Amino acid sequence: MEYNSHNAQYQLIFLANTLIFWYICNENPACFGGIAFIDTQMEHIRNFCIIAHIDHGKSTIADRLLERTGTITEREMKFNQVLDDMELEQERGITIKLHAIQMKYKAKDSKTYTLNLIDTPGHVDFSYEVSRSLEACEGAILVVDASQGVEAQTISNLYLAIDAGLEIIPVINKIDLPSAMVDSVKHQIMDLIGCKEDEIILSSAKMKIGIDEILEAVVNRIKPPSGDPNAPLQALIFDSIFDGYRGSVVYIRVFQGTLKEKDRVKFFATDKIFDAEEVGILEMQRFRTKELSAGDVGYLIPGARDVHDTKVGDTITNADNPASGPLPGYKEAKPMVFAGLYPVVPDNFAELRDSLEKLRMNDASLIFEPESSVALGFGFRAGFLGLLHMEIIQERLEREYKQELITTVPNVEYRIVKIGGDVVLVDNPAMMPAEGDIEHVEEPFISAQIIVPTEYIGNIMKLCTDRRGVYKNTTYIDPTRADLRYELPLSEIIFDFYDKLKSTSRGYASLDYDFLEYRKSDLVKLDILLNGESVDALSSIVHEEKSYEWGKKLCAKLRKLIPRQMFEVVIQAAIGSKVISRDTISAMRKNVIAKCYGGDISRKRKLLEKQKEGKKRMKQVGRVEIPQEAFLAVLSMEE
Amino acid sequence: MYCDFYSIENHETIDKFLNALHQEINLYKHYGEMEKYQTIYFGGGTPSLLMPEQIGEIINHLKQSYSSEPDTEITMEVNPGTVDREKLEGYRSAGVNRLSIGVQSFDDKELNFLTRIHSSDEAARSIMLARECGFENLSIDLIYALPDQELSSWKKTLNKAISFKPEHISAYSLIVEENTPLAESVSTGKISLLSIEDDAAMYELTMEMMLENGYEHYEVSNYARPGYHSRHNTNYWNHSNYLGLGPSAHSYWAGRRWWNIRDIEEYCRRITRGELPIDGEEILTNNQLLDETVMLGLRTGVLDISYLKKRFNIKFTDELQSIIKQSLSDKLARIEGDILRLTNKGFLVCDELSQRILSAIQ
Repeated sequence: MEYNSHNAQYQLIFLANTLIFWYICNENPACFGGIAFIDTQMEHIRNFCIIAHIDHGKSTIADRLLERTGTITEREMKFNQVLDDMELEQERGITIKLHAIQMKYKAKDSKTYTLNLIDTPGHVDFSYEVSRSLEACEGAILVVDASQGVEAQTISNLYLAIDAGLEIIPVINKIDLPSAMVDSVKHQIMDLIGCKEDEIILSSAKMKIGIDEILEAVVNRIKPPSGDPNAPLQALIFDSIFDGYRGSVVYIRVFQGTLKEKDRVKFFATDKIFDAEEVGILEMQRFRTKELSAGDVGYLIPGARDVHDTKVGDTITNADNPASGPLPGYKEAKPMVFAGLYPVVPDNFAELRDSLEKLRMNDASLIFEPESSVALGFGFRAGFLGLLHMEIIQERLEREYKQELITTVPNVEYRIVKIGGDVVLVDNPAMMPAEGDIEHVEEPFISAQIIVPTEYIGNIMKLCTDRRGVYKNTTYIDPTRADLRYELPLSEIIFDFYDKLKSTSRGYASLDYDFLEYRKSDLVKLDILLNGESVDALSSIVHEEKSYEWGKKLCAKLRKLIPRQMFEVVIQAAIGSKVISRDTISAMRKNVIAKCYGGDISRKRKLLEKQKEGKKRMKQVGRVEIPQEAFLAVLSMEE
Repeated sequence: MYCDFYSIENHETIDKFLNALHQEINLYKHYGEMEKYQTIYFGGGTPSLLMPEQIGEIINHLKQSYSSEPDTEITMEVNPGTVDREKLEGYRSAGVNRLSIGVQSFDDKELNFLTRIHSSDEAARSIMLARECGFENLSIDLIYALPDQELSSWKKTLNKAISFKPEHISAYSLIVEENTPLAESVSTGKISLLSIEDDAAMYELTMEMMLENGYEHYEVSNYARPGYHSRHNTNYWNHSNYLGLGPSAHSYWAGRRWWNIRDIEEYCRRITRGELPIDGEEILTNNQLLDETVMLGLRTGVLDISYLKKRFNIKFTDELQSIIKQSLSDKLARIEGDILRLTNKGFLVCDELSQRILSAIQ
């Protein structure tokens, strides 16, 4: 009886969707020949994602699935990897922002299935976003490169997927490579997820091997979604983007109930109510269906001005018939890394603010507030999820918004416990309270998982020790690969830890980390003085034991980066009033080109124009002119 | 002789080039009639490849076609070892009245490094020969700050040059031009350049010795006895009009600058078609003109503040004032009324001063 009523209801929805389809096609003849109808029968829906380490072939496999299901033709595949549609992502080969896409697949059982592929970002900075998109799926394809084996990123995301109860479909990709070690990778996977050998699909996305097997496994092994279309609405936001015309567009997975256009929808975390302006599914473009119900993946345009009202991980419900509570797991995205962003030309402050505001509209995890620096003038202190996130913001500001920036050395947020017990959070070294007022300082620690071939264990351990790491344990994934666990101060890994990790392991080591806790550390503020004047933007908070070496290196580095001036410049590193290192830049002796005749004047003037601009971009402390690069000196201290 | 290395084909090229040059003179006739020329300069490359008759034809053509001032300065660049008495006498009687001799150094090792075909003795002979042939206005070109050069060696070269009592001396610090064998050797580490300190010391020595010997320092690298400044080069530096004829020559006329194509074949072809062989041009904006005025002014040791105020309407901002004050207290310049005059110390950092002053003005 229950089954029948269920069925009847699907019939109705089926009809309604067919109508909607015709309605849309009549409005827009160009879409004729699109999808014949939208199947919302839950047993024919599969929601899944792909878990893979960078470069293990996630995007290529995704492309093949799109191609095989006819979602996109080979010809349409202008870029190699459709899912990475931001220029930046293509260049980095990192899927920075999540997307989702719906495919229709006619399986060997002759039934047509709706497959929703939800993309996940592949970098440690975005692990919360990953967990939200995993939450939206019932299954995951685990892709491992046959020549590389399992990596840290893969493992941590795999654990997230297992925790979320996802069915895992293991795939070994790139089996066509001469360096493929199929058997050994098979064993790694079997050890890791406890699957049988015959459950592992061998594939080469490049050679189009194994694609049908993957699609069949998605249909047969992943369970269909469950949920009650008639229950009060609960939909999970697993991503949101900002559309210049429409405002926030949220990507959702409906768990319970049905969402229709014109519904009044409530966002639990922000407690805001909007009207559902548009609802639909995600194909190569947005495809309006006017409603989504339990099991569906699609989008909602709620008419919200920016993404801050529609946060990733939040739950949407119907304001007039609300669910009793949100889906579990929502977290406020918390910035971990902070840096000052300053316009190179002081006049561009307002422009920079506008650009940051626009960026914030589609990036809920970016925070910033105005600050000022003696050396750099007016700018902003911004908080980022991690160093990659910071680099992305920096690059987007420069490329998309044409902003010229000076970015100060990134730092973490410190907890300063003052004498008397007051606690202040400091995300800018210049704001550190006076030494005498401080009881102690605490800094954030992370727990790190590093997967590395056994021959490099020694190098990695040395690196971690140098970075004040606390060793926890080692396990062996297989005889050749170890899984090292360390607890490290976050501040020690935000500079060049990742690069070092790669260079000391010939690129084989991989890293994943999670915030652990704040811990008491012996930290001091190191100031840099130029001819006796402190340069606030060059101050840093460092561990006491490292402060002497650090100060010495920093002075030497600055001596190289600051050009000769008309007078001698004395560089000092100091802790409080105690100078711990000193270097000098001797005065400029000669700067004049010997020849300038008729044919040279133009060239010489053009050079002068450039130099003049360079001068204007210099920041001045006292009489000393400091180039931009100097403010990032600390980042590349090892050179 | 040097000239003999050239094959018949090159004689043909020279003839073709001369034809084109004469046609180019015709193409600019209207310019030549607009304003009287004061100077002619044969330079860049090796003009002494041309025979005296050929030089004479060019001078005559210019005299006939353009109007000129009576005491025209006609300079020709010559390299020791490429000229003999006959040629020099020929040039003199063709009308050349000033020679710029590319001596570069009086040290054979240094000349070898500079891939010069002449020796120190040949250089000396050429200078004396020029005097004997009746040249009363001689300039000697010298180069310093060569790799491994000692200050004493430079002093010797300078003293030797001064001993000939030339009217004019140009002394250039070595410039490493891009895409030259020298640049290549420097970048591969085969040759290491002199330190900036040593370079500066040689420049200081030059300025001191020139002053002691009665030469006026009237441009970064140029020194002359009173009345013998190069009138031609001075015109470049004060934005006077000039026409450059021949491949890759630059011209400037009333705010417009243009330059000919480099390739001699293409240059000839274009002229044969009756076209001007221009490769590019720029019309200077007011700001560019200001940039050049400040830059070239400082290079001649002078910044005429009242002229800048009048001509470019520049504001005397606090920033500009403090830069000027600073340069006075750093002893880079002296102030004489409304004129800022560079000291030796100022000449040393002339480019830096241009950048500073201009970034404060605009």
